[in-house]
Amino acid sequence: MTQAAQSGVNGRPLWRSALVPVLLFAPCVLVYAIFFIWPQASLLGLSASDKAGLTLDHYGRFAGDSYYWDILGRTLGLGLAVTVITLLLGLPTAYVLARSQSRWAGFLLLLTTFPLLVSAVVRSFGWMVLFFKDGLVSKALQSLGLASGPVQTMYTMPGVIIALAQVLLPLMVLTLHGVFKSIDRDLEYAAMSLGARPSVALWLVTLRLARGGIVAGSLLVFSLAISAFATPSLVGGARANVMATAIYEQTVELLDWPFGATLATILLVTVLGLSLAYGALIEGREKMEARP
Amino acid sequence: MTIAWRSPLGLVLLVLCTIAFVYVLLPILVIVIAPLGATGYLAFPPQGLTLKWYQAALNDQRYLTAVMVSLRIAVASALIACVIGIASAYALTRYEFPGRRLLEALFLSPLILPSLVLAVGLTLFFTRTGLLTGPWRLIAAHVVVCTPYVLRVSLPVLRRFDRSLEEAARNLGATPFQTFFLVVLPVVRPGIVAGTVLAFITSFDELVLALFLAEPGTPTLPVTIYSAVQLGFDPSVAAVSGLLIIATFAVMLLYHLLNALRQQRN
Repeated sequence: MTQAAQSGVNGRPLWRSALVPVLLFAPCVLVYAIFFIWPQASLLGLSASDKAGLTLDHYGRFAGDSYYWDILGRTLGLGLAVTVITLLLGLPTAYVLARSQSRWAGFLLLLTTFPLLVSAVVRSFGWMVLFFKDGLVSKALQSLGLASGPVQTMYTMPGVIIALAQVLLPLMVLTLHGVFKSIDRDLEYAAMSLGARPSVALWLVTLRLARGGIVAGSLLVFSLAISAFATPSLVGGARANVMATAIYEQTVELLDWPFGATLATILLVTVLGLSLAYGALIEGREKMEARP
Repeated sequence: MTIAWRSPLGLVLLVLCTIAFVYVLLPILVIVIAPLGATGYLAFPPQGLTLKWYQAALNDQRYLTAVMVSLRIAVASALIACVIGIASAYALTRYEFPGRRLLEALFLSPLILPSLVLAVGLTLFFTRTGLLTGPWRLIAAHVVVCTPYVLRVSLPVLRRFDRSLEEAARNLGATPFQTFFLVVLPVVRPGIVAGTVLAFITSFDELVLALFLAEPGTPTLPVTIYSAVQLGFDPSVAAVSGLLIIATFAVMLLYHLLNALRQQRN
């Protein structure tokens, strides 16, 4: 593509023209090789070895114990619930912000995505204050007649789901906002001028066209939800054990690093599988869009 | 407007949208407002009105130290990530070679890696090799998670950059270095600044890597807040968090105002 990449331009030998890109890539490649690939490889190695050599014992321990299957199941359930909530609230929010002609729309989008800049620790803390026995959530449920006594939402799975969905909702809104913005509004007009009711046009045209973006956003939120640590650890505590908190417990508290590495590898493989699906999907979409 | 907001469908959309706004902003407002209460425990809505918890937070040496630790680590991580990220982003957009897309995917992959997985791997790695000491272990970890943000923001900006400007500079006799610093850099600067700011915030807010890799005795701010919250609901922890939220909001507003001003001037 560039002149410098082709050999012998301006009479310079190939190795001279390759020198600049190699030097430009060198720092990044070095940092990644030492502090990313090497540690991940040794993590994999530790999860599949003991003092005697290679073994799959740690994976066998995971597979043979229903306690760990429960944790994995709870983690995936958390991911699913959080994805559904963020979709339900994210779709209308992103659509309204993308289609609104108000001069405030930009500011409102900024306000919705602002929580992304605040540490998840702080946001989970906010939910802890709301969830505690005499907190606002409990009082609201009682005044609505939905509960007779104080409700404890802290240290429960529903509490973790509500808090984590709030942490990830801005990301869903941001993804879907971009998707809706890229869909030509004239297509909706066309559908309606051909007699479709607005709801039908929204269903048949807009959501159909946004399908790829919706799946992409869902996969993103799902993989972040199953790897989240701060929210499950603070809001859920020991009773809502998920993969991330289990890994922390095995390593920092129980000092069983090989088994912690095994759990980490299982989480990594799950997330990697999801993101490969994500990549394939994006690629497929690009090919579809590139088609004339 | 496609959908009449007063129609039933429009109203449903607006109601869901309002719920989403309240839902997203409520816990943040709680943390800013709750420490204003005069009670010795955190309550929302707060009872009474006092600034003593905010004052206590500002005078608490523990939090001040933690803020300084976090600032130092975030500045170092963001600067290193910026330099190595921009160098790679520039090379990725200027040179065509086999495996370029693979390299780009590798550079972006820490974005999807659970930070807990990276933290466990890095802790094992540092204990075994004894590499790096003091804050540099955490900085190295943060550079890995921050560089993808720099790349993600600067790659599209560099791709959009008009190559003919570069060629013109070269034809007029500028060296490649001069071309990069005098022609390319000023044009793509907003993208670079945005990427570096994002990297800074990512490092400043990061909890998991800091839990595993921070120097014993000098925890970062998120780790300090995390530990304090687990011990109990001291209103001064909420006040520190509240100050953090207010500062973040002010910086975000300033950033967007400056951007808007610059666009107006152009």
